[in-house]
Amino acid sequence: MFISKVMTKNVVTIDKDADISQAQEKMSKHLFRHLPVVDQNNRLIGIVTDRDIRSLLPPSHFAQENSPEEWKSSSKFRIKDIMTKNPVTISPLDTIQDALILLHKKYFGALPVVVEEQKLIGIISVRDLLREFINVLGLEEPGTLLCIIVENKIGQMKKIVDAISEENISFGSILVSRYWEKGKRAVFPYLLTQNIGPLKIKLKRVGFTLLDPMDW
Amino acid sequence: MKKTGFLYDERYLLHDTGPGHPESPERLKAIYQGILDADLLSKLTIIQASRADLKWIETVHAKNYIERFEAACRSGDSMLDYPDNQMCAETFETALLAVGGVLDAAGRVMTGKLDNVFCAVRPPGHHAEYDHAMGFCYFNNVAIAARYLQIEWGIQRVGIVDFDVHHGNGTQHIFEEDPDVFYYSIHQHPTFAFPGTGRAFETGNGKGTGSTRNYPVLPGDGDKEYLGLIQRDLIPVIEAFSPEVIIVSAGFDAHADDDMSDIKLSTQGYTRIMERVVALAEVYSNGRVISVLEGGYCLKRLPELAANHVKVLLCV
Repeated sequence: MFISKVMTKNVVTIDKDADISQAQEKMSKHLFRHLPVVDQNNRLIGIVTDRDIRSLLPPSHFAQENSPEEWKSSSKFRIKDIMTKNPVTISPLDTIQDALILLHKKYFGALPVVVEEQKLIGIISVRDLLREFINVLGLEEPGTLLCIIVENKIGQMKKIVDAISEENISFGSILVSRYWEKGKRAVFPYLLTQNIGPLKIKLKRVGFTLLDPMDW
Repeated sequence: MKKTGFLYDERYLLHDTGPGHPESPERLKAIYQGILDADLLSKLTIIQASRADLKWIETVHAKNYIERFEAACRSGDSMLDYPDNQMCAETFETALLAVGGVLDAAGRVMTGKLDNVFCAVRPPGHHAEYDHAMGFCYFNNVAIAARYLQIEWGIQRVGIVDFDVHHGNGTQHIFEEDPDVFYYSIHQHPTFAFPGTGRAFETGNGKGTGSTRNYPVLPGDGDKEYLGLIQRDLIPVIEAFSPEVIIVSAGFDAHADDDMSDIKLSTQGYTRIMERVVALAEVYSNGRVISVLEGGYCLKRLPELAANHVKVLLCV
């Protein structure tokens, strides 16, 4: 749940006086799009992204034909000239949900993780969150996904879990989400079995509606 | 009429998965009955099972997995790795007999004693991975057959066509980096079906990039989609790869009446698919087809499906 568990530690950073080509090299070597800028005490002072760099440089297919001058002049820039100062950050004790909402609201791809005095201890990106999502959903375990529509009243989950346990089936994960019909929810159990036939019959017999996968 | 072999052995019935399990001995009895009732037995060369040499199993599976499987079976464990894989005291032996029978059948096709063969084996194989059992499968019969063809017979290009409704994760992973074995699978989309692998963007790794092809189909799809895919994709793939032998992972669980999936393939649809595969083998693989049973759980439909499958191989 906490950023500290999910973030990337050992962050690749850059110095404010480095030149643009050094940033480019680091980004393409590690396939990153964000480089936090830190001082000699590892305190965060800015962030530079691949978009910052690309909006500075001329398109590469013009470079040979036209503007050796432009290339030369852009190489005069340093990271401190193009970085975003005082970037939005997150703390290690914030949660994955905090990061999801913040990244979504701010249209960012990554957030540096800092502690007191802006000391950089990690970075969390959309990629890290995708990985967590895949883990939580159990997408890499062999199983079958079902979709059951339930009335929003107490006792429904127990009936579902009972039916599944009676068939001796294990859960990979279970997701309960909103459904467009009022007073109903959609339950998505991810079940670690190939043998889903008898369970579907049982759930229908107990009175549940199984949603056609094409309507999920 | 072709010289078609039929691998079937009553010892395959001894792998007891317990009451109510869909991968039951009844499936094989239904298949045998269907072939018998269609008056096809006399036209076929019956092959009895034989125990596989462990060295062939080791070409695909980790030695310590094989030992672990045998030990678990001998200790009387009721399952291996997943609850879907129910075992009895005979399971390890039966799995060895399945592999052995398939290799014997493959050898006969290679010597020309047979043109093609249908191997009605249990337990199935295409979910079995390098080091674990899964999805009713223990040893990957088809993968071991492919390795056998490469090593024993010097085959340079093996084509595997898997039309079982579930993605053959084991087979794909075993050959994912091998450019000499093409794995082609049509299966229910992994978001909606076991085992959750086999997405269209999985096309092989490293040297094997381009020699895996996955075609997920959506719930409710059937004849139109399957035959369309075969026309648009399988034919060009086989043309380009030009396999010397085609191994078929023949699962009948995409049938509309089979509870294991939401796919609606008809009995005729299955016949059409196999006709295309056999026709391709005729052009590119010297007619050599080794068809191995994977899934298929509707006891009512299996007799006819099996009989039709064999009729296509026989060319009658």
